[in-house]
Amino acid sequence: MTSRAVIIGVGNPWRRDDGIGWAVAEAVGQRVGPAVDVVESDGEPTRLLDAWAGVDVAVVVDAVRGGGAPGKIHVWADDSELPSTSASTGSHALGLADAVALGRALDRLPKRLIVVGVEAHETTPGRGLSSAVAGAVEDAVDVIARLVASRL
Amino acid sequence: MTHRADPDRTFTVSGLARVEGEGAMHVVIRDGQVREVQLRIYEPPRFFEALLRGRAYTEPPDITARICGICPVAYQMSACNAIESLCDVTVDAPVVDLRRLMYCGEWIESHSLHIYLLHAPDFLGYDGAIEMATAHRDLVQRGLDLKKIGNQLVELIGGRAIHPVNVRIGGFYRVPTEAQLRAIAPRLERARELALDTVRWVAGFDFPDHEWPGELAALRHPGEYPITRGRLVSTLGLDIGPEELEHHIVEDHVEHSTALHARVLGRGEYFLGPLARFALNFDELTPLARDAAGAAGLTPAERNPFRSIVIRAVEIVHACDEGLAIIERYREPERPAVEVPPRAGVGFGWTEAPRGMLWHRYQLDDDGTILGARIVPPTSQNQASIEHDLFHFVEGNLHLADDELGRRAEQVIRNYDPCISCATHFLDLTVDRA
Repeated sequence: MTSRAVIIGVGNPWRRDDGIGWAVAEAVGQRVGPAVDVVESDGEPTRLLDAWAGVDVAVVVDAVRGGGAPGKIHVWADDSELPSTSASTGSHALGLADAVALGRALDRLPKRLIVVGVEAHETTPGRGLSSAVAGAVEDAVDVIARLVASRL
Repeated sequence: MTHRADPDRTFTVSGLARVEGEGAMHVVIRDGQVREVQLRIYEPPRFFEALLRGRAYTEPPDITARICGICPVAYQMSACNAIESLCDVTVDAPVVDLRRLMYCGEWIESHSLHIYLLHAPDFLGYDGAIEMATAHRDLVQRGLDLKKIGNQLVELIGGRAIHPVNVRIGGFYRVPTEAQLRAIAPRLERARELALDTVRWVAGFDFPDHEWPGELAALRHPGEYPITRGRLVSTLGLDIGPEELEHHIVEDHVEHSTALHARVLGRGEYFLGPLARFALNFDELTPLARDAAGAAGLTPAERNPFRSIVIRAVEIVHACDEGLAIIERYREPERPAVEVPPRAGVGFGWTEAPRGMLWHRYQLDDDGTILGARIVPPTSQNQASIEHDLFHFVEGNLHLADDELGRRAEQVIRNYDPCISCATHFLDLTVDRA
């Protein structure tokens, strides 16, 4: 029996703002409660396919770069194409866009997939989000809570 | 943009695809000769070494597991070995077995990821895993099934699949019951079948003629294939314990590169990883793995890095086989961990990560505070060998245009499965032909 919604935080909290995905996912879990599962992920594509297997709605939260001011929130919902360049700041061979493409090729996408990107600022080794990015956590939680509620 | 006729050129490959993490390759060609090959794929985990200073001696398994999402178990086990050896503690036999079983899970996971998603597309002519998955869905799904069983094994023992939380100095926080381990055995049997299929599949690939002529080094321990312990031996007679590493291996500058190169003192580069393990420990493989290797045309004399994909598949067979043997003999230990009283001094430890030997050194105060830490991962040690290999590869293929040369060079790099996920985020490749 799988949960109907999963929030997957992607990133690496040891690379400062690359930890935004985990921070937002955890905060969504606290806000929404047991109606959603929260998964922390390093973004490795095959684990993403497992994390969203069989759910109605999967929300993936990741840090992005190159699309605006630190803390800016982007949303890609349903069939909108993920730009591969903005997929992730994560240090992985295959990014989030690749995971989605792989899921599509293998017919292993969730019924609804929403990607929320938060513009990162600092991705050097270290703990803690930069202030602009930390300030976006609550806004991102609001966005996700609304999206999940409207799609369940 | 290509300049195949130019006797002077430089090229850079940006975003080395399908390498764990990102890196950069820079090649300088002058008067039709390769002058320089720089590979910036690896930065030592200096941040973590600094972070460890001042922490308690019990913390390295948790902290160093964060260095790599692909091989956290390797970091944890090398850390445990180093600190337990300094504190003069012997871990109970069932706990040693459990550690090895967890490590087998990591090998299965890491090797199947590399074979199916990163390396096989090179041999089958696809740009990457996604194109391959579109054309060969069942094959890629087989790889994912195999990998998942490795994940499950790590998760069962380690508490979770990435950055396992259940490992501690002296053992584990809690250990699985016999029933829990027995329950995963059928999945591991299935993995072994998939692994044997994988060996047969990759053995049929077309391999370019190519040879790594240098020194191969791997751990070796009597009676077992090297995973969790051993002495470091090599094809040129190296035979040392972890406390001797810094007396025999140095990092220095070489002419064609700006990166520090690890070298055996008085000799030169050495190469770690599956090819080396296999060459030096063929006799320690399980009979099934040895037979699979033989049927795939491998012998301990194999020196072609392109064939390392076949060796990885053989090592998955071994990991499944050995994992099943451990499950069979497992009896829940009386205690999940032994007490490890701190001791002042310097401790050294190493294990065989999927990519080769990973070495840790810790200096402790008498209350167990870490005064200093040094971590030498396999990819940083292999960087010199990879550059050396690339140098000759580029030299022999100067007739190719930049983009084709870059593409083939990336394949050479992927043979080594370099892990750079703890290094820099963004990669650029440049070729300078002037």
